[in-house]
Amino acid sequence: MAEIDFSNQRALLIEDMAEARILQKKMLSDFGFKHIEMAMKAESAIELLRQNTYDVVLSDYNLGSGKDGQQLLEEVRHSNLIPNTSTYLMVTAETSIEMVMGAIEYQPDGYISKPFSQALLQRRLLKLVESKQKLYSVNHALDEKDYELAIKESVEVVESFPFLESKCSRIKGECFLELKQYDNAIELFQSALKERKMPWALFGLAKSYYFKGNYEEAESRFRQLMLDNRFFVNAYDWLAKCLIKQDKKAEAQSILINAVEKSPKAILRQIELGELSAELDDFQTAEMSFRRAVFLAKHSIYSNSSIYFQHLKSFIGIAKEHELSGRQVDNFKITLKKIQKLFGDNPKIKSGAYEIEIELFITQDKLGQAKSAHLLYKQDIDMGLAVPETERFKKKLEPLLGETSEQG
Amino acid sequence: MNKVDISVILASSIHESKNAVGNLMYQLQTLKSEFEGPLDQVDKINNIEEGLKQLNDEWVEYLYLFKLASDGYDLQTDSWQVNEFLDDQVFVLSQSATAKNLTLDFECDETLLGNFDERLMTSVISTAVYNALRFAKSKITLSAKRLDEYLVFSIEDDGPGFTDNLDEEQNFLQNNTGLGLYFTKLSAQAHSIEDRHGYLEKSSSCTLNGACLNIYLPQ
Repeated sequence: MAEIDFSNQRALLIEDMAEARILQKKMLSDFGFKHIEMAMKAESAIELLRQNTYDVVLSDYNLGSGKDGQQLLEEVRHSNLIPNTSTYLMVTAETSIEMVMGAIEYQPDGYISKPFSQALLQRRLLKLVESKQKLYSVNHALDEKDYELAIKESVEVVESFPFLESKCSRIKGECFLELKQYDNAIELFQSALKERKMPWALFGLAKSYYFKGNYEEAESRFRQLMLDNRFFVNAYDWLAKCLIKQDKKAEAQSILINAVEKSPKAILRQIELGELSAELDDFQTAEMSFRRAVFLAKHSIYSNSSIYFQHLKSFIGIAKEHELSGRQVDNFKITLKKIQKLFGDNPKIKSGAYEIEIELFITQDKLGQAKSAHLLYKQDIDMGLAVPETERFKKKLEPLLGETSEQG
Repeated sequence: MNKVDISVILASSIHESKNAVGNLMYQLQTLKSEFEGPLDQVDKINNIEEGLKQLNDEWVEYLYLFKLASDGYDLQTDSWQVNEFLDDQVFVLSQSATAKNLTLDFECDETLLGNFDERLMTSVISTAVYNALRFAKSKITLSAKRLDEYLVFSIEDDGPGFTDNLDEEQNFLQNNTGLGLYFTKLSAQAHSIEDRHGYLEKSSSCTLNGACLNIYLPQ
């Protein structure tokens, strides 16, 4: 095995258990790492990843009560917080491996089972870093989003290192998808499948058909993946997309509910289920999904005001059908407060929060409370803290308040 | 309480025990790295570490066995360089072999690729090697080759070989070897392509004159 000098490389260690963290830090410094930073949970790891670039990330799957290692990986990959040229090693236990392997869309570069010896970690790390060095030109092109170049480079890598063929085919296939060259992608994934039945190839093929608009072909392959392995939750997401395209929304919703049960911490899936449920006028499910999404959004890169607003809107949907329970009213208030706290500096968002609060009061026939909220809203508008009422508000909601116009 | 409940409870207890063992291993590693006492005591620490590792690997085997036997395990196949895989196995198991004055090595074509569940097969190979450690006189060899549409892993030793006269079911219930074989059989069977399933073949080793366990995985 090649000697690799880690002394000028930067490592991030993410582990919630103190004992393991201390030991792993010692292992990394024994390997020669001089710059080792540590995070005890996913949320603080994201902050560190925002600020710095790490050559090696060693992350545990179990990270206590917050996000788990897989969600963390998905977020940082999705938002390019970690370059493709870096090495990401996930520490797993036997119970978590199925969930980690099931996430075929976002996978770490390697896994190591707990407990492991220093010698084994060193060996795994060296092998991974070595393979990353061979793939450097490909990964660098991916980081630059130059997919044509990445394809060209991966052809060259395979010529020098034939054993990297499977890895390179996979990258090539994904590049074809990025370049919207769906026929090339289909051809590549099909020929990979002829060699051996690899889940990533079947998944890639199904996605290619989806993007080509061939939803039935795509659907049957996503279903096959789900049959092959019930932990392939990404296949559930994509099957739901296919069903939505075929206007089978109720069926899509039940697929997503199933996926959410398997993997409740994935924020994007919760948002998707929330939006779909709201479209289907199933506001109870929408509220539950957005409530979870709001919870998961904390310290997430996906945190934006729209999740919070959609959560609030789902209460209006519920209130049109039933009286809200005490608990629901509390949940509404909690999310409203969160919006004000997180985004209250933005006058537009402040207005949005007022309008939705007033709309809920009106829906509940609580006109007195609606009017006093409107009064506060107007004061904030006058002080420049909120923007003037939207057209929708003026036309649809304001008349219901029964306020006399001389106030204005 | 019915049988299913008990097996689920046992599986989760095993899991907790496994975690406790893992924690002890971490503590022991820390202790070892700071230890400055005499060499014979280092050997004792190594023995304890070795024992804990075997215990951990056994718990892992039982957890997989539980999942396989209760139909709850989804295979995670991927394409692997078999040579590297065997090199990894020898690397992690060689300490156990050395402790018993046995040599453990592997033979495999460097270009051989195979499709299998790496974690499950890691547990299978360690189970087979731990078993061979009890019988081998001096040597255990791991190897792999492609035979028609199958990838074949072989674990050979220079011990007395398999005794065929024992009733297999009886054997399975009475000792650990049988349970290990049962686990290996289920793991092989879990690998399937269309209607072709993996299987085991017990034979005698041509090169080492002891037992030879062949694990066939469809490709």
